[in-house]
Amino acid sequence: MSYVVPIGPYHPSLEEPIHAKLYTEGEIIKDAEVFIGYNHRGIEKLAQEKNFIQTLVLVERVCGICSHSHPFAYAQAIENIANIEVPKRGQYIRVIMAELERLHSHYLWLGIAAHLVGYDSLFMHIWNVREKIMDILEAISGNRVNYGMIIIGGSRRDISDDLRRDILQVLDEFKVEHEKIKEIILNDKTLAMRTKGVGVLPKDVAIQMGTIGPHARASGVKVDVRKDAPYSSYEDFEFDVPVVEDGDVFARVVIRALEVDESIKIIKQALENLPEGPVNLGMKIPKVPAGEFTQRVEAPRGQVIYYVVTDGGQTNYRLSIHVPTFKTAPTVPYMLRNNSVADAGLIIASIDPCFSCLDR
Amino acid sequence: MQKFKSIEIKKEEIVPIAEKMKSEGIRLLMIHGYVDKEGKKVISYQYEVGDTVEAYTVKGEDVLPTISHIYDVAASWPEEELHELIGVTFEGLKMRGRLFLPDTMFEGKGQILVTPLSELVKKTQGEKE
Repeated sequence: MSYVVPIGPYHPSLEEPIHAKLYTEGEIIKDAEVFIGYNHRGIEKLAQEKNFIQTLVLVERVCGICSHSHPFAYAQAIENIANIEVPKRGQYIRVIMAELERLHSHYLWLGIAAHLVGYDSLFMHIWNVREKIMDILEAISGNRVNYGMIIIGGSRRDISDDLRRDILQVLDEFKVEHEKIKEIILNDKTLAMRTKGVGVLPKDVAIQMGTIGPHARASGVKVDVRKDAPYSSYEDFEFDVPVVEDGDVFARVVIRALEVDESIKIIKQALENLPEGPVNLGMKIPKVPAGEFTQRVEAPRGQVIYYVVTDGGQTNYRLSIHVPTFKTAPTVPYMLRNNSVADAGLIIASIDPCFSCLDR
Repeated sequence: MQKFKSIEIKKEEIVPIAEKMKSEGIRLLMIHGYVDKEGKKVISYQYEVGDTVEAYTVKGEDVLPTISHIYDVAASWPEEELHELIGVTFEGLKMRGRLFLPDTMFEGKGQILVTPLSELVKKTQGEKE
């Protein structure tokens, strides 16, 4: 029997609203369609009414998880148009925040993945360990989300020597816990049996569809803006871009666990070699000439793309925001095909979607 | 340090450029669009060429050829979005209906009942009159 099974926009297996239509033959999904827009807030239009400082506050609220990546990309686009050079110490602090954000984002999703496969003890353990990172973020910025650390021309707050030592100590504790969690992820049968061979995206299809971020890297596509087009001094740090070839949900779990190791490496290097000097150029609204620039930032889920057009005035003439989920959600129908309806929620979640970002 | 290069092109050049980029293994970063101060539509096809974003911009065209047969969903999603956002028609683009919210939602047939689009249009036109 053929059925059309609707999932969402509001559904218990979805953290945020999206609408998927599953065309099924019995239990098996034969095709699918995805519809977005349920979180559309008109942020790009609103940005045209805001000055460059106000826009930082606005774009930080595009997403609650990668709330550093958005102003990070926007500020660099404006700085490039205005030829503003950020002090080295400010660049390093931006990187530290970006990598801490990656740690907490990957841990958030690893927890959700464990929860979705019914492994709730692992879910609770992962989220408990994640709190160490949330504490560091709070210690640096004063906030657990929407850190307000980016200003045009640098970082808003400095990291003191005492805080630097504390963070390094907490990171060492986090690393010990992460090794234990990684051991479970790589070797536990419960997780493997539920995720191996599910929602496969082969490498050639991933390339053809132009997908990005950990989603692409889990399908064997080595793409990472931090290496391909370094920004904010990423070229100063030694780190690898892990790649897993299998392209299934299990690979997407593993890739995030491996990327956590690399982020810890980057944060440690940045903290241990934090340059002396100012962290910003002051708090004035910058004079931005007419121009345009597209800035890419490797957010936890993949590339965040900010295309900014200015006309010499105090506001953005045009701001176009595109996020990783815009490049990963189109792969969902392909991944759903020939899987069972019971796996649909897990497969949709496996792209680590952010529909709040996607709809903006 | 990332770089940005903007080049204005004619609409006839869109497909040949996309084919050349694809054959060289260059990724389509995004297709952005907006309406400028003179009311002209500006569409920017942006490619990742190493550390540089190359932007090929077409101005003042309402109908453009699709490049979704070259770049698959990496092109079709932005094209669908631009069609809904600023009304550019992409010839050859296989539209699935609406990308941002399905058609039926506005008719009140979906899982959510909202004000039908036809009534919103009437209201907007009424205000203009």
